Amino acid sequence: MSAAADSKRSASFRQSTALAILKQNGLNIFLAIIALVFIGFAITTHNYLTLFNIKTIVRDAALVGIMGIGLTFVTLSGNFFLLSMKETAALCIITFATSMSHDYGFIISLVGALAVAMVSGGLQGLLIGRGGNPIVVTLGAAGILYGIASWWSDNLVISFRRPNDAEWLGTGSVMGIPNITITFIVIAILAELVLRKTSFGRQVYLIGANRAAGKATGHENRSMAIKVCMIASVCCAIVAVAFSAQMSSAQANYFSSEFGSSGDFTILVIATVMVAGNSIMGGYGSTLRTSLGAVFISAVDNMMVLQGYNSGPRVLSVGLMIVFSILVFAYIRRDNRSEG
Amino acid sequence: MTFFNFKKITSNDPDLTFAILLSALVFAFFSLYEPLFFNINTGFAIMERFAVLGLVGLALTLCIIAGEIDLSIGSNAALSAVIVVRLTDSIGAPNAILIALALATTIGLIQGFFIAYLKVRAIVLTVGTLMLLRGITLFAADEKTVMLTDFDIPDFIQEKMFYIFSPASFLVLGLFVLVALFMRYTKYGREVYAIGGARKEAVASGVSLKRPMMIVFAISGLCAGIGGAIIGLRSGTAQPLGLQYLLLAATVAAFIGGVSVLGGKGGVVGAFVGTLTVNFLNTGLVFNVTPAYIAQMYLGGLLLVVILFQNMSKVYEDKQQRQLKLADTDSFRQRLLKSLKA
Repeated sequence: MSAAADSKRSASFRQSTALAILKQNGLNIFLAIIALVFIGFAITTHNYLTLFNIKTIVRDAALVGIMGIGLTFVTLSGNFFLLSMKETAALCIITFATSMSHDYGFIISLVGALAVAMVSGGLQGLLIGRGGNPIVVTLGAAGILYGIASWWSDNLVISFRRPNDAEWLGTGSVMGIPNITITFIVIAILAELVLRKTSFGRQVYLIGANRAAGKATGHENRSMAIKVCMIASVCCAIVAVAFSAQMSSAQANYFSSEFGSSGDFTILVIATVMVAGNSIMGGYGSTLRTSLGAVFISAVDNMMVLQGYNSGPRVLSVGLMIVFSILVFAYIRRDNRSEG
Repeated sequence: MTFFNFKKITSNDPDLTFAILLSALVFAFFSLYEPLFFNINTGFAIMERFAVLGLVGLALTLCIIAGEIDLSIGSNAALSAVIVVRLTDSIGAPNAILIALALATTIGLIQGFFIAYLKVRAIVLTVGTLMLLRGITLFAADEKTVMLTDFDIPDFIQEKMFYIFSPASFLVLGLFVLVALFMRYTKYGREVYAIGGARKEAVASGVSLKRPMMIVFAISGLCAGIGGAIIGLRSGTAQPLGLQYLLLAATVAAFIGGVSVLGGKGGVVGAFVGTLTVNFLNTGLVFNVTPAYIAQMYLGGLLLVVILFQNMSKVYEDKQQRQLKLADTDSFRQRLLKSLKA
């Protein structure tokens, strides 16, 4: 080989190595840039990096985060997601408030809401485990649950008196940390421990990662779907109870988009699970990620509020985050996937 | 000749038969229950409703046939409605409609592009675009309900023609016919069925995955756009957070019409019948002065019933096939033993 050809080849080799490095790490570089932009905004936004604001961020993330942790169990087990989360919460909140307004006390009302959640979650899980497509089943269940909630409450606001046993959850705090944040943190730790340290957790991962292997080893989705749907619904109930405790009232549309300013609540919860990087096909991810994802979305939303944006741009940016993270994760994992 | 051979149609396409029977049942129920239901004006109302729901039902049917689903159809329609209402005052209705349709179809094409080229699952992507389009709609409407200033402009789409039709419903019926011909008689339509029902096999035998996917989502976007435009012009207002019920209603319509979650099954006729059934149910409930959330409850229940029915028939079919296979193996074993003994 002549020296000219040699040097030419080595030059192009150097060039292709540089290109290869860029290709390999291009994504990481891009994410690092985004992180820097975020940090830049965080530093320059007034009052953003204060303890009070950080506590606000975590508290705002709590409701969506708890539901997201419940939904993560469903996603990890390969059952996609439930489109009926906000309707389950609506039914639970009506149950809780009705019971509280009859002066049954916090414990009984909580048990009532949990029971309703477990029944509705169990039924949905039953249908899904027997082969129903989770999206379609929960779409139908959503209509039914919301109908029941509205019909039971005649679409009116149910309120209960102010000095009640539920206030500690809604507005109380311990050492400056709101009780609802503590609930969020406790549930997050509990969920992560269950997923990592118990055999049930490993079964969830198995059924999500490789359903055929699960079936061959005796772990069917039939029972797992029921269990994870119940877990997700129980998380919805907890969120409903906490929200009702905050407002000392309940109405069926508390979780609908007419009420909130951040768009569709169910979609927000699904967004949390996906932005956090959990694989939609199951078997990969964790509830720790979801908790961090919830805090992250809340942090961005909080920053936009402090910068003075209305709900339109905020919904838009959450939507952008979801779509962006979907595309990024699809691009990263495109080699691990077969056609269709 | 074959068209009127009912026995052949029934055995060839049991799902369509079920859909037609269900549709007739709902219609008969409400006709007997409500004296005013069986009436020309009601027919007009039903066809008007059909104009929007039929479009979305058709779009969703195509998506599910192709093995995917478009959850963002409601948001797309809402965006289209907002754009049409906002722009009609300044540049006139026809131009506003054109712009809205172009935008909606482009959105559908972009989604189809990502699903086809990046191999993202449609379920996943459309959850994100559902929220993204909501945000854009909120932005475009400045978070208020937008209204026309001159309510006479869009009256032309509501003119009564032939007793129960109007330009809007004629347009939609024409679109149905076009799409039906497309799906049945062109190669591209067959490709859609192929990638839905048997994707791996289709790809292995050279069927392009990208083209039918983009076509389906472009049609979905177009349908959402037309539907939103019709709603926007008809009522003269548009809410940025509206039209969320369209997804559930269209899904029920599609499943009544005979699509299967596994893809590859169903057709435009089914979409038509399914949409009519949902329409009968909706209009009948309105006669009963049922609130919207109760109607949603019935729709949800109907969806679950149809799913259950489909699931049971699939379980039954699987069982039959298993028994056939076992019988085959048994007879083969017996023949083998016999030949060995001899």
